[in-house]
Amino acid sequence: MEEQACPRCKTTKYRNPSLKLMVNVCGHTLCESCVDLLFLKGSGSCPECQIALRRANFRVQLYEDAMVEKEVDIRKRILRDFNKREEDFETQSEYDNYLEEIENVIYNLTNNIDVIETNKKIEQYKKENKDQIIKNKSKLGKKENELEELLQLERLEQEERRLEFIKKELEIKRHKIREKEALIDELMFSEQDARNIIQLFASSIHASEDEIKFAPKPTTFSTGIKFGQQNNTCYLSVPKIDEGPIYHYIPITQEIEGPIPPVWGELKIQGYISHVRAASEGERAGGFGSNIACLRALQEAMAGLYHDSSKQLLEILTIT
Amino acid sequence: MVDKLRRYEKIDFLGEGQFATVYKAKDSLTDRIVAVKKIKVGSRAEAKDGINRTALREIKLLQELKHDNIIGLLDVFGYKSNVSLVFDFMDTDLEVIIKDSSLVLTPANIKAYLIQTLQGLDYLHFNWILHRDLKPNNLLISSEGVLKIGDFGLAKFYGSPNRINTHQVVTRWYRAPELLYGARLYGTAIDMWAIGCILAELLLRTPFLPGESDLDQLTRIFQALGTPTEETWPGMTQLPDFIQFKPFPAIPLKDIFTAAGDDLLDLLASLLNINPLERCTCDQALQMPYFSNNPPPTLKAKLPLPMTIKRQPEEKPSLKRKLLEATDGASLAKRLQF
Repeated sequence: MEEQACPRCKTTKYRNPSLKLMVNVCGHTLCESCVDLLFLKGSGSCPECQIALRRANFRVQLYEDAMVEKEVDIRKRILRDFNKREEDFETQSEYDNYLEEIENVIYNLTNNIDVIETNKKIEQYKKENKDQIIKNKSKLGKKENELEELLQLERLEQEERRLEFIKKELEIKRHKIREKEALIDELMFSEQDARNIIQLFASSIHASEDEIKFAPKPTTFSTGIKFGQQNNTCYLSVPKIDEGPIYHYIPITQEIEGPIPPVWGELKIQGYISHVRAASEGERAGGFGSNIACLRALQEAMAGLYHDSSKQLLEILTIT
Repeated sequence: MVDKLRRYEKIDFLGEGQFATVYKAKDSLTDRIVAVKKIKVGSRAEAKDGINRTALREIKLLQELKHDNIIGLLDVFGYKSNVSLVFDFMDTDLEVIIKDSSLVLTPANIKAYLIQTLQGLDYLHFNWILHRDLKPNNLLISSEGVLKIGDFGLAKFYGSPNRINTHQVVTRWYRAPELLYGARLYGTAIDMWAIGCILAELLLRTPFLPGESDLDQLTRIFQALGTPTEETWPGMTQLPDFIQFKPFPAIPLKDIFTAAGDDLLDLLASLLNINPLERCTCDQALQMPYFSNNPPPTLKAKLPLPMTIKRQPEEKPSLKRKLLEATDGASLAKRLQF
């Protein structure tokens, strides 16, 4: 990739990482600081092609090729006037010709071919189709307005739904409070067995809970596409790998050849711990407890008590 | 002794550490590939006991330990004044896998690594041994996807109340706060903290608390998990190197590990508990819901491996070669056409 550089001050992206290249209608680039410097008065001429430019028209360069920027600019301007649509033509080929003409005009302007001639053509087109251009422009506006209205409607609906939801929640809360009060009243004044009353109320609450259901959440976008539908098409499903079995913890067991030493929980109950120096606060803060020492001492004392060396000898002999 | 020197044929140089050089070798008796760790003689001070202390630790402990997730010490032999240890050969380690950005670690993969690590560590703690240097670099992984805890140069028995340990253990990034505060008597919680840091690293794919100094390490811990108080960590002011830090609020783990589920966050919170007495132990950790929940851990043979390591048993023989051999044209060189 070629290094981005300002043609005037020769600063590169390497030397100034915050370099911002700007472009105007003529398609020549300048860095931000050069623009600030040259167009202090709000207007000036392009240092490369001397065309009069306005400062307000400078934009940050989006495409690396400045020619693309220029074309985008011109296309925007041209399409403002050449705004006929397919419906305005009788045959397909006529429409195609019209589109091609537009492309020609844009190409000529971006590459500086017959600029005067082309401009004349545009002027002529404008004069000839004055009425239609205005009509189409207003039509476009109308369409935008319609969309705007649709969005507004949707927003309203959403707000309504939200309010309804809050109302419902409040109602449920109130309902619960009322029920509680009723239960207390009943307990206070009724002669029935308290347990029966509670049971009765519990079952009625259960039933009413089932009844209350929230309004179904919207499942479609305004365009009619269902929520979540697009997920299936957008993402490849993760390939299913056959996994191993679920893990289950199996505690370690070891042959100790001795009586089974007491476990962690028994140390205190059985009083073993009282024979060990208690851990100081500082030691316990370090993660050391006296029961650790106690447990280890007990284990070591008991391991191997039943050890019978003659048995092991026999075993070795049988193996070999 | 000379026989043993001949028994292991050096294949490759693998690496060099502070105390030893490691070679890849072939056991000519069993045709098995092994790793030979040749202990350096070291300075006179280190060798005054006759043998380097870290090597002695490794030999002493590993000789008696036998578990699938603990590196196996196969043989020890000496030659002249050198001592060499022969280990299972492991293809890679967890650090390589974490750093290899071309590998994707699924939640099931992480669970599989963690279960293997904890099983090995559970066995160590059960036998009253602290590893004291757990880090991804010391969790070795074979080409079959078996994880083994390695490097027992700092491992030591624990649980004796009158034996004072040094607090200068564990690589700093995985060092528990009580060690940083200079605790001389500690328990299994220091290894659990390291496991917590390793789990966090597996999730983030970058070290969780990469402190630049011991003080910076504590600052990072407290910035992430909140500064402890005498209520959350009783007795912390009694620790030898205690320093009061300015109170940082804890960042919810959910905000750090955005992709982790609730069961995993519970486990992390328990492993990274500032108070060592409240940190879970190995068997407690393994019984937490995270391990028995879905997704189940990946089978060992399906765990990801770096590109450079070939998976031996799974590799299919190239079909092309077979066809060539079938038409007994194997010896024919391919003709180039211009």
